[in-house]
Amino acid sequence: MSPKARIMTILRSRPFLTLLVVAAVWIVASLATRGFGAFGHLRYLVELAAVIGLVAAGQTFVVVAGGIDLSVAAIVTVAAVGLPLVSSSADPTGLSAILIVLAMTTAIGLVNGLGVAYLKVHPMIMTLAMATFLQGLLIIIAGGSAVSVQNPLVGWLGNARPAGIPAGVLLWVVISALVLFVMHATPFGARIFAIGANPRAAELSGVPVPATTIAIYGISGLTAGLAGVLVLGMNGQGYVGIGDPYLLASIAAVVLGGTSILGGLGTYAGTIPGSILLVTITALITVVNASPGWRSILFGSLILGLLLLSGREAARR
Amino acid sequence: MSAVPSTSGQHSGRLYWPVQAGRNVGVRGLFAVVLAFIVAYGFLFPGLFTMSGFAKFTQSWFPLALVAMAQALLMLTGGISLAIGATVSLGAVIAATTMVGPLGVAGGSALVAAAGLGIGAITGFIVVKLRLPAIVVTLAGSFIIGGAALLILPRPGGAMPEWLSDLLAGNTPAAFLLLVAIVLLWKLYLATPLGLSLYAAGENPVGAYRSGVPVDAARIAAYALSGLLSTGAGLFVAAQTGSGDPVIGAAFTLNSIAAAVLGGIGFLGGQGTMRGALAGSLLLSLMISVMFFLGFTPVAQYVAQGLIIIGAVALPQFRKVQR
Repeated sequence: MSPKARIMTILRSRPFLTLLVVAAVWIVASLATRGFGAFGHLRYLVELAAVIGLVAAGQTFVVVAGGIDLSVAAIVTVAAVGLPLVSSSADPTGLSAILIVLAMTTAIGLVNGLGVAYLKVHPMIMTLAMATFLQGLLIIIAGGSAVSVQNPLVGWLGNARPAGIPAGVLLWVVISALVLFVMHATPFGARIFAIGANPRAAELSGVPVPATTIAIYGISGLTAGLAGVLVLGMNGQGYVGIGDPYLLASIAAVVLGGTSILGGLGTYAGTIPGSILLVTITALITVVNASPGWRSILFGSLILGLLLLSGREAARR
Repeated sequence: MSAVPSTSGQHSGRLYWPVQAGRNVGVRGLFAVVLAFIVAYGFLFPGLFTMSGFAKFTQSWFPLALVAMAQALLMLTGGISLAIGATVSLGAVIAATTMVGPLGVAGGSALVAAAGLGIGAITGFIVVKLRLPAIVVTLAGSFIIGGAALLILPRPGGAMPEWLSDLLAGNTPAAFLLLVAIVLLWKLYLATPLGLSLYAAGENPVGAYRSGVPVDAARIAAYALSGLLSTGAGLFVAAQTGSGDPVIGAAFTLNSIAAAVLGGIGFLGGQGTMRGALAGSLLLSLMISVMFFLGFTPVAQYVAQGLIIIGAVALPQFRKVQR
């Protein structure tokens, strides 16, 4: 491919187009509202986008493989509520608690994967039922009250700004690089796309479909758990329902970024600007001082409008 | 085929019942489980077999049956809706704000029906004609519809005419009779061209389209009817509680999908029967009631419900693998 053709491909690619939309919205909003374009505000937006981006990382894997994970919100809550409970004063760094929680959320994801791969339960039912199950469990464990955390590492993650960049954003950058590498430069990544495009063909070509499926849902549990740790650090408190906004957000970010909800097509490079776009929309809606009803209508309509611009399926032949 | 005489008009009647029986094959196990649950329920709560006990039980089942039908209708055409709960809420708040006003019950019911049909038709149009994925459209739609419900009634309130509440949620089995009527209407709908196209549009849209089946119209009609059933369920819930609540329908989204899947409706379209979905909703409703009578806390009900749904969906698959 000649350099010129390569540049044209990048310019026409969905991730780049989503990035352009984000840039356009930022420029227009900065001109229209005072303070929107300030560095501190934009940095804050990216910090918020990091949480969605982390949840959407696992969701991208699952959606590319032709599934969907509706339990991510519950998993974020499990991590945010569970971490204060497993934090002990014996470990001054707080690392052990984070590792325990991440192991826990990964295990939840693996159970999702087991159900989908071996029991052949449809992903939507498996993950919805898992979310229902976790919701009940969380209320039993945590009750209705908020739990605050005394964990140095979690606090650092949520509040520290080495070199002016929030630690959460740094975490997101690292995870993004990892995800992009795994997705596009490893055999495992290639298998995910194969399963999403045509599971039977993938199976017949020797792809270990069940093992790969289980791993994908495990990854989704892991990244949702990371997002839960980050959101806990930013909030200082965990409570039941803290993860709820991230279900729609993660799916919308994936779809806005150009990944097909039918599987087999897409990239995390699109989900990244998709997450930032979503946060920007939410911020703009907050600026427009409207009642909760209107805010909800505006949010839904904007997502629908953006979908019309970007998320259309191919025509029937 | 030679065994079938050419004068098919008079023999199609003879074929009707075997065909119907054939459709029961996939859901026979489900029917048995439902029967077992009814026996268990009757044992725990002997009042079930009195008139008022039966009325109360069918009333707790009725809204779930409607949303299960609404979801099954969509899943049969290869669609799905994550906005059922929000639509139920909208139906409830419209009913609770209009029926005691100048519009009266007739006007209020007409508004509820129009809202359901309209929302469904718009959703269907976006999904079918603009070719957007149904999951995402209805997820975004649930925000818009839920927002509209909040605008109409920001906090629980409103009122329903007392006689309507007594009629629908009193000691008469009006809800059950209404359900029977709706099932009969569904049978009639299946005999219309749009109804006949329903399964074809879900099973093999491309093939159906090439054979001249109005695929797009059938799918949009399915969304519209699904909206109507959802707001209808909302009206009933409002009559049950005597007031409107803008978030009362939230649980119906998951429960409608669970009921349809328990009833053997497939996600890919064209697989399953409405009687299965109804049995699935009855099973779910029985499960919730039985757990209530066994003294499960609402929280434990969540946990048990999650487990039972996975088990019920996984079990038939498991048997298939072993064979």
